[in-house]
Amino acid sequence: LLNNRTIGFIVALSLIGFAVVSGEASSVSVRKFLSSLPVTEKLGGDTTRPVEAQNAFSFQAANAAGKHQRPFSFGNRLFNTNWVEAPASVKSFDGLGPMFNRVSCSGCHTKDGRGQPPETGSGPMDSMLLRISIPGLGPHGGPNPVPNYGDQLSERSIKDVPPEGQATISYVEVKGQYADGESFSLRKPSYKIANAAYGALPKDVLISPRVAPQMIGLGLLDAVPEETLRGLSDSDDADNDGISGRMNEVWDSVRSKLAVGRFGWKAGQPDLINQNSAAANGDIGITSRFHVDENCAETQSACAASFKSEDLDLNDEFLEKLTLYTSTLAVPAQRHFDDPQIVQGSRIFRDMGCAACHMPTLQSGPHPLPEITNQTFHPYTDLLLHDMGQGLSDNRPDFTASGSEWRTPPLWGLGLVPKVNGHQFLLHDGRARGFAEAILWHQGEAAKSAQRFKAAPKADRDAIVAFLNSL
Amino acid sequence: MAMAKKAKIWTALGVAMLAGAGAAEAGTLQSMPPIYNPQIILVDGEGGEGGGEGGGTSSTTTYALQSTDAKAYSYDATPQIDAYINLAFKSYEKAADDAAVLAKVVDAFLAAPSDETLGAARKAWLAARPAYLHTEAFRFYDGPIEAVEGEINSWPMNEAYIDYVEGMPDAGIINDPKVKLDVDSLEGINQKQDEADVTIGWHAIEFLLWGQDLSATGPGNRPFTDYIAGKGNNDRRREYLKLVTDQLAKELHGLEERWEFEELNNYATAFKALEPREAIGRMINGMAILAGYEFMSERLGVALDSGDQEDEHSCFSDNTKQDFVHDLVGIKAVWTHAKIAELVTAQDPALAKRVDGLFADTETKINALGDPWDQVLAAPKDSPARKDAEAVVASLQALADGLKDVGNKLGVLVLIPTG
Repeated sequence: LLNNRTIGFIVALSLIGFAVVSGEASSVSVRKFLSSLPVTEKLGGDTTRPVEAQNAFSFQAANAAGKHQRPFSFGNRLFNTNWVEAPASVKSFDGLGPMFNRVSCSGCHTKDGRGQPPETGSGPMDSMLLRISIPGLGPHGGPNPVPNYGDQLSERSIKDVPPEGQATISYVEVKGQYADGESFSLRKPSYKIANAAYGALPKDVLISPRVAPQMIGLGLLDAVPEETLRGLSDSDDADNDGISGRMNEVWDSVRSKLAVGRFGWKAGQPDLINQNSAAANGDIGITSRFHVDENCAETQSACAASFKSEDLDLNDEFLEKLTLYTSTLAVPAQRHFDDPQIVQGSRIFRDMGCAACHMPTLQSGPHPLPEITNQTFHPYTDLLLHDMGQGLSDNRPDFTASGSEWRTPPLWGLGLVPKVNGHQFLLHDGRARGFAEAILWHQGEAAKSAQRFKAAPKADRDAIVAFLNSL
Repeated sequence: MAMAKKAKIWTALGVAMLAGAGAAEAGTLQSMPPIYNPQIILVDGEGGEGGGEGGGTSSTTTYALQSTDAKAYSYDATPQIDAYINLAFKSYEKAADDAAVLAKVVDAFLAAPSDETLGAARKAWLAARPAYLHTEAFRFYDGPIEAVEGEINSWPMNEAYIDYVEGMPDAGIINDPKVKLDVDSLEGINQKQDEADVTIGWHAIEFLLWGQDLSATGPGNRPFTDYIAGKGNNDRRREYLKLVTDQLAKELHGLEERWEFEELNNYATAFKALEPREAIGRMINGMAILAGYEFMSERLGVALDSGDQEDEHSCFSDNTKQDFVHDLVGIKAVWTHAKIAELVTAQDPALAKRVDGLFADTETKINALGDPWDQVLAAPKDSPARKDAEAVVASLQALADGLKDVGNKLGVLVLIPTG
């Protein structure tokens, strides 16, 4: 009783296996193969939902199994839960802090969407944060924690524990011009930490600002076989195209070993369960099996002395449901796919070389969740680190990623951020006000593409922006 | 070279798979397959995550399944559209009237706070609640409620954002004289920092009347002395309660006006002008998303899975079971009073009968639920009370699936966030 679709899947499965085995991990062949696949408006493959309203990022994968409906809903509840200080009357959801950035996941990823810098430049950050470190290597080769502070600035804390300090941003406008004479302005941010509560910060403190990314399609990215990333990487630029994407090598807290990095602005986490448990611990102060200790630096005595529950704040069942949730949020379909301007923009996007890193198509391999298994989808990323030049550098190494290296972020859903989150601040720290500014910030390996964009006629630039807005 | 050949096979296969998916869906529809259509929009399917953009219809909205057969899905939906507009108007009118009664009783309570007058105010809240719940079936599309739902029925809420809670005597806006008490100020900070930082609406009033539910068996028990004028921050609490109660009545009256057909240029007029299937699509999505997502998952399933007694919709008053009963009444009203049942009966009597049966089954199972609901949540996993609750989840799932079939029959796409 196999229908066409089932057979399709079985054949697809064997084909992917074949492609991987016969790919000889050559960057050229894997890239060529993936580039040859047709691109459709179903950006998330069979998970895609045709939605475009304010809740567009909050749908469950269209192909989700019925039995995943309850755990997905519960994961959604966990994602929206405001954690409270322990001990509280609602025991399942206590354990906030002592140090934290926000009290819920959705505090930063509002409506499963994207964060932004504070409008005023001061006051605690609501949907972004600062990673901090000092030069040198820390545990497992990661960032070297700042003495008395750790590796992330906690701007909030529970009562009777002072928060670590307050981030401030200031911007300088830098004017520029397109080839056709139209002017633009980019705002260059600088970051400071005020009211440092646990002793003066060292002069050489390194600061990496990060906004919360949208949550759609993450499971698909998680299920891309490591062989594909290996095949796509080209650290020595063997193919001589000026693009040398490479993999980060990071600490896997779940398996206690080094692993290929995949999630986060610098690909600092190897998979979603690591990402979720690390974010719960670092951003909310929630413990789980893989991060059993509260996030208190060595001399933070009030933090260390605060109430500690004997149980983990996030038990295994909850962490599993949270991870199912973050793995199976549907990707919204591309809008106006056949519109001539968008078709043109998509072509120029490739012609200018953007698609070399923002790869239109990836394929997932086997995964315990069938909805994200063996899918062909269109995230517009290669999941690799690329040198983006000094203008975007945070000068802070993160495992093997240098200050100027960033993981290509997926572009799917970015056109819906204005509807979902009411803004379109882009790049890792939200400095870019819309797509054009984001493109203009690209340097390093992307310098040639940015140059082409600057030189292009307005109609072409508008077409690229229209294309990106349709994603 | 070998790689290129494989890529071609893969390309062809990809196309075949897409075509296969279309054919599989068509099997459940009429003779012509619907074309995959990315232009559907739905507004706000997440409980309590209100706020957002204004209402009004968008020209890009389309619920109609496309067919290459021009005659497919051609039916007259005028009686349904007219009946639905009238039903929505009457429902909001009743909700606004009942909320106005609540506001009056709250005035009387504030004029002379006592156990008796506080009890009367709580009774008035409970009495006003059903009429509002009946209107929840008009949510989950671009109707006028979407722009203001966050100011009317936001939940879950972080009560310490409003007033003191156990162990935090100075918590909340009421105890922070720096926060100005007026509607603009409260609406301005409603869900601003966090979705649960709710300042206004039904559940804010509920918390102000009952207080935290710290009892294992009964509802919250805030003393009337919290409202004696002149003591501590009581004057701010008095002002706050009056503000949010009056505002609720005002918001509901505003919704009544948006649905009043005689008013020019309001939502009722725009709804009447919709293509028939765009209107039918809104009606059915509103029912199906409330049944199969908001009610089934957000309010029932999630609470059952969290294992916490106070993880419930109307937790301060222990009125959650009544919320369930009246949400279903609202959904069924669209089915019967908006004459969807009649329309389906004309096209597929067996389907209409099946959905009638699903409504009856769900009603029976909801009525059999334990009360108060927090006692069900406190019950052990395999207890009869829990099994009864799981039966409601299953019946709502079946009802939502039945409503999807209704959507298919009438040529409209039904999009449930988790279904």
